[in-house]
Amino acid sequence: MAAADGEEPGFSKDLLAAHVAGCANCHHELDQLQALDQMLAGHTLSEPRVDLWPAIENRIAKRAIRWQPFALIGLLLVIYKLLEMLPARDPGMAIKLVPLVIVVLLFVLIKENPFRINTELVLER
Amino acid sequence: MDDAGAIKRCQQGDREAFRHLVERYQRRAVGHAVAILFDRDDAEDAVQEAFIDAFQAIGRFDTSRTFYQWFYVLLRNRCYKMTARRRPTENLDDVQLLASQPGMSDETRLALEKALHSLTPEEREIVSLKYFSGLSYDELAVHLQIPRGTVMSRLFNARQRLQRKLMRFERHAETKL
Repeated sequence: MAAADGEEPGFSKDLLAAHVAGCANCHHELDQLQALDQMLAGHTLSEPRVDLWPAIENRIAKRAIRWQPFALIGLLLVIYKLLEMLPARDPGMAIKLVPLVIVVLLFVLIKENPFRINTELVLER
Repeated sequence: MDDAGAIKRCQQGDREAFRHLVERYQRRAVGHAVAILFDRDDAEDAVQEAFIDAFQAIGRFDTSRTFYQWFYVLLRNRCYKMTARRRPTENLDDVQLLASQPGMSDETRLALEKALHSLTPEEREIVSLKYFSGLSYDELAVHLQIPRGTVMSRLFNARQRLQRKLMRFERHAETKL
């Protein structure tokens, strides 16, 4: 198949030609492959006229706005936690750190940042 | 503006530079998404989502790949997520997978599209990239992030199924005559 595609087959082309000449099955398969190649040759994927930028820009702007209130709430919570941890007000700092440790452990356990966009390989189903 | 310059500007938050990338690749991306999803609306949705992913992940752009190779991974992730959620399209009338070619009848194109529709999205994807985008085995391995040997076996299986489908259509057409 690789040789028929013009790719390096991994063994001698002469050896392949000699085998195909004497093997009816391979000869038939090669003929069919070439017929399919011929049928598909010259076709290209349709590239329809689209203008997706306005929708994409709109959605990027919406997403950018969406995380800001959460970031603010998060920041306020962190400040509140830090204030709560002041030694003069609360001696049991280790207990107060428990939620933070749980969150860190969760990240370690799932071995993935849930906010990260996957740009890596998706395993085939 | 070349891709490298646009990417650098995008990494500094420049949306206009990103617009440049979207406008350059959107049509090709929709073509590739239609090849996987066989549905124009879903394909446009997947492309939009993938471009938004790209904008958010551009800080981690892999310089060992071209922009489109890197973006294609995001696009196919979006497409396969979508295939898992929806039922395959039954109505082929609204979908044009292949471009009309001068000297080639619409009937031939439609028969080919029908045969391609009967393949799985993974098979259709590899056949489209090989034949209609002209990618070599090595390029397919990079695009699909699979070893070269897997490219060869997957392509072999896809071709066999496509051939069987086309032969069935031919026989069907002959009996009609």
